[in-house]
Amino acid sequence: MNGSQEIFERLRDVLVELFEIDAQRITLDAHLYNDLEIDSIDTIDLILKLKELTGRKIQPEQFRHVRTVRDAVNALHDLMTKIA
Amino acid sequence: MHDTAQPVDDRTNARRWAGHFDRPWRIAATGFAFACFGVGAVLLGFTIWPVLRLAARDAQAGLARVRCSMNIAMRLFVWLMHSLGLLTYEVHGRDRLARRGQLIVANHPTLIDVVFLVALLPEVECVVKQALWRNPFLRWPVAWAGYISNADGPELVAACARALAAGKSLLLFPEGTRGELCQARPMKRGAAQVALAAGVDLRPVTITCEPLTLRKGTPWYRVPRSRPHWVLSVGELIAVRRWLDSGEPRPASVRHLTLALTQYFERSAELQGAAMRGRRIST
Repeated sequence: MNGSQEIFERLRDVLVELFEIDAQRITLDAHLYNDLEIDSIDTIDLILKLKELTGRKIQPEQFRHVRTVRDAVNALHDLMTKIA
Repeated sequence: MHDTAQPVDDRTNARRWAGHFDRPWRIAATGFAFACFGVGAVLLGFTIWPVLRLAARDAQAGLARVRCSMNIAMRLFVWLMHSLGLLTYEVHGRDRLARRGQLIVANHPTLIDVVFLVALLPEVECVVKQALWRNPFLRWPVAWAGYISNADGPELVAACARALAAGKSLLLFPEGTRGELCQARPMKRGAAQVALAAGVDLRPVTITCEPLTLRKGTPWYRVPRSRPHWVLSVGELIAVRRWLDSGEPRPASVRHLTLALTQYFERSAELQGAAMRGRRIST
């Protein structure tokens, strides 16, 4: 995965698959909890799935400040570019 | 031709007088019952419960004793409300609650749903909303009984799974707070999360109250025109195997099970309410 756009698209697919959210609702500004109803338990499942996809270790702390889809894309981007 | 006005006999008069006093009596008695509950919660919180917890051989035994005492207290309180003429009630399928280690879920139309359920379930562990730990009266029972807070999602699921694994019965209101079920406001996902994480079937209890009272936002003195009647029906187990075996991602299963649970309660509450109203009309 490289480039924020590709990360966004892959993340969107994951959100649709895991939480059955309508893809049209997933925008960069969408708030994970308020708009997409992704709660704290869902976040754990999401991080597990992202670990699987990226092959990277993801610590829950790295996602602590993630509130919107954009925050998640940025966090993933930082993660991917750190070791690469 | 005789006079069309009916002669009024003594029994009709007596009924009219009783009717006049019924509501004022129930308002006063409701206030008294609330006061008893509040005073009782604080008194027990400073006397019996600390003794039960501290004198027990270990933490689990202490918690069991406190919860047992709550079961007795709630049975007394239900008796009090009934004796004061505040309410009537009926319970169906009580024997289905006998087995330990069940995950019991109920809808939550009124304030005293939990009173009935704790009265029916000795040693039950309850999931309660975080706000109760700040309530000046309820903080004592929830703390001494070691109830589980709903503040942190993952911690809630873990604590519930531990309780169920230890063979304790667990009571959880999927709605999280009082309300009437409707499609626009489905149940929260906590119950489904716990059921699937622990691999435990759900035991549903459908609660209806006619006329509906003690709703969210209703002041305590707004008693209904007629004496309310509670019906609690313990339903058959809702098996979670098909969601566990579905092969879909856990979060998706949680959402589907929550929807199924919401629909179950909507249907059963509707049927139960209609049956109650039908009986009232015919009597």
